[in-house]
Amino acid sequence: MNVIEVHKLRKEFKSFSSRSGLAGAFRDLFTRNYKILRAVDDIDLHVKQGEMVGYIGENGAGKSTTIKMLTGILTPTAGTVRINGMDPHKEREKFVRTIGVVFGQRSQLWWDIAVQESFRLLKKVYKVSDEDYNSHMKEVIETLEIQPLLDKPVRKLSLGQRMRCELAAALIHNPPLLFLDEPTIGLDVLVKMKIRAFLKEINRKYKTTILLTTHDLADIEALCDRVVLLDKGKIIYDGRLEQLQKNWVEGKQVHFEFMHPVQESSLRELTSQFEVNWRQGERPNLWTATVEGEDEEVSRLMSEVMSLHTISDVKINQVSTEEIIRNIYEEGIVNG
Amino acid sequence: MFYISIFFQYASQYLKTRLTYRSDLVVELFSDILFQAVNLIFILVVFGHTNLLNGWSREEIIFIYGFFLVPYAIFSAFFNIWDFNDRYIVKGEMDRILTRPVHSLFQIIIERMELESLFGVVTGVAIMFYAGSQLGLELSWYDPFVFLLMVIGGSFIYAGIFICLAAISFWSDSKTDIMPMMYNIGNYGRYPVDIYNNVIRFVLTWILPFAFVGVYPSAFFLGRTEWYGYAFLTPVMGIIFLLIAYFMWNAGVKRYRGAGN
Repeated sequence: MNVIEVHKLRKEFKSFSSRSGLAGAFRDLFTRNYKILRAVDDIDLHVKQGEMVGYIGENGAGKSTTIKMLTGILTPTAGTVRINGMDPHKEREKFVRTIGVVFGQRSQLWWDIAVQESFRLLKKVYKVSDEDYNSHMKEVIETLEIQPLLDKPVRKLSLGQRMRCELAAALIHNPPLLFLDEPTIGLDVLVKMKIRAFLKEINRKYKTTILLTTHDLADIEALCDRVVLLDKGKIIYDGRLEQLQKNWVEGKQVHFEFMHPVQESSLRELTSQFEVNWRQGERPNLWTATVEGEDEEVSRLMSEVMSLHTISDVKINQVSTEEIIRNIYEEGIVNG
Repeated sequence: MFYISIFFQYASQYLKTRLTYRSDLVVELFSDILFQAVNLIFILVVFGHTNLLNGWSREEIIFIYGFFLVPYAIFSAFFNIWDFNDRYIVKGEMDRILTRPVHSLFQIIIERMELESLFGVVTGVAIMFYAGSQLGLELSWYDPFVFLLMVIGGSFIYAGIFICLAAISFWSDSKTDIMPMMYNIGNYGRYPVDIYNNVIRFVLTWILPFAFVGVYPSAFFLGRTEWYGYAFLTPVMGIIFLLIAYFMWNAGVKRYRGAGN
């Protein structure tokens, strides 16, 4: 059974574009120029129970807008949404009992009151019985290690502490579906790892479906089997993460640090017999070669380059997911 | 039932928080009383020169003022939505509200309540008793019940108007200065409407019916039979305005566009 069923979902925003200058401002008073902006453009999405889906895209690609439509905050312009068998907009109050939401940049907790008081209020709001609360939340609190924070007001917590409490708060009613909008934004590596481990744990234990957006692709690599890539409101890739990595590039990246600045043309000429793509780094003596093909190609290319230019450092890497995503956005195509 | 229990949960949490900041609470109560004293002195000063205002005596006006304070106190305790646009739309707090399984308007009411404003009820009733004894008014057995009905009607009218104004934010996110202006207009309801010209009187009765918060219901207790019809319209108008506000709010929530991250 699909937990999330989205068909031809669309959201348009009407935005008012002002003319320039004083004369323009006067004209705006009478006739306004409206621009229709399609933030989410006819997307289809199906998510099964227990899946962990990474929803990624650049800023403004429409990630947050989608999440807000799926959680019932925004009303779609067109299309149908069925989540947990309900329409989020028609039955909002009933629907939100079956989901948990964490917005990394916005607090769900009450600012002035102790964390446990916030939990207590949310427990009432979600009508959670004492037994359910005790058995379920005891574990959550232990795993997230927030026991010592419970009697502190939220405003006295650090960001990492607060995020762990937010996560716990979103799980008070043990929802089968969890939406996380940038849950790890601004957190240090240790807290990130703790949160990832925790999400894996609840996914394994309760078969909680998780849809998360993030800018940190390490989150996706650690958690999600499936990624959905969004660009300008359209889904441009939906599938397994490894598939994306495999399809996009086979091969390796070689990072050269030359002693002296090097021209791109000379590098291209030198390596014209290889299938290689040169990209300049932050300085004129830093170059990255993406080599497709066998590993021998890599070593032949390196010897070719090093015979002519003196180098101070060289590194060989697998192409990172980040690199793949960047390529996709720059070139706008997905192979496969 | 659920809503009542949630209300008390929030109220007890609110009291707990307030009691930890004791000095704040005292200062606030004190400034509240001072504010009401200034208003009362203003009325006394006006009547220092004349004892009758278009057929209304000084004590009657004081009585109306006292009555007005009661629904107004209830309104200010529970409907602190004058900064709704700033707090919930611009800052995006509405997102959070909409992910919780309680009606959005109700959540905002219980989140923003300021129970210390209820102190105004005490002041209001005291003023009414003082003015009433000066006027030699008799208290019948049904008066407290009618009073309750009128107060509820009056606070509903206030709430309805201000909820409608807050709901405008769903359509236009630019700031407006309507809210403070409306607080001013609300004060006109404290004076007998027949001292105003007909247009203002019409507005205060049917469009922004603040007259139903002060003068019309008080007329019942003052025994001014010529206003009885209006007096008994108070709860009706209250329900109508609150319903309008409720539907407008629900329509507005559908239009909510959220704040960008």
